[in-house]
Amino acid sequence: MKSIENIPVKNPFKVPENYFEEVNRRIISATAEEDEKPVRHSIYRRMRPYMLAAAAFTGFVIISYFTARVFITGGKESEANLAETVSVAYLNDIDIYSIEESALDLELSDGLSGIKKSEIVDYLMLEDIKTEDIIEIL
Amino acid sequence: MIVEKYSSKLYWHIRRLVILHEDADDALQNTFINAWRSIGEFRNESALYTWLYTIATNEALNLINKRKRNSAVSIDDLGSYFENSHEGSTFFDGDEAEVKLQNAILQLPEKQRVVFNLKYYDDMTYEDMSKVLGTSEGALKASYHHAVKKIEKILTGS
Repeated sequence: MKSIENIPVKNPFKVPENYFEEVNRRIISATAEEDEKPVRHSIYRRMRPYMLAAAAFTGFVIISYFTARVFITGGKESEANLAETVSVAYLNDIDIYSIEESALDLELSDGLSGIKKSEIVDYLMLEDIKTEDIIEIL
Repeated sequence: MIVEKYSSKLYWHIRRLVILHEDADDALQNTFINAWRSIGEFRNESALYTWLYTIATNEALNLINKRKRNSAVSIDDLGSYFENSHEGSTFFDGDEAEVKLQNAILQLPEKQRVVFNLKYYDDMTYEDMSKVLGTSEGALKASYHHAVKKIEKILTGS
């Protein structure tokens, strides 16, 4: 079968007559209305400094709590529970940078040796593979 | 004028993702309104065109996800889209081969569909696509290559 790249590209979708002239007018009109609206800072913007302070304080409390648990309760069982709690919290907050860091230690087969590990992670995410599965693979 | 220069390109990009004209119309307007609101945050690190494409892509994907949450039926081919809309197939004029191709494209994961459409229909460079999608060029090349293989496999199998 011919590759689709060798087949002329066609556009099967249609639009109503004079659509683009009409939609351009609507968009310009809508953006002009946006200009006339008074600037109001959102509640989020006004509360942001307080929220940042609260987040910093909460982070401090959480780190202190886990540190205290390790030193006060002691024992292998406590350490195992702590490790599990932290790893679950970690997985829930996983992001692309954490995945790429994990990929740094990944040993690649000869066929993949020329490819950057960050590119492999990017590709896996485009293939719609879930974050948790990528972590498991790594 | 930015609207006149980019509305057509952005419309077709959105339309190929959301399929229906009515949805593409909504998403296009939202794209320009959101761009207008965020113009203060636009930095000249990327071209205006790639920035607009990013907003348009996000609008289209948001609309698709919203449709999936609200729809009781699976929307994975053109027939489903047309059956569940007011416009039906009024604004679609493809032959049988085109219908098969569009259905095959709809089988791709959403992000891979975006990559395929940007390369196949818009002939966007991987460098620009990388700025639009925030993904490495290597991953995009691999993704497009596999998308083509998947589509060809679907078409030869049907």
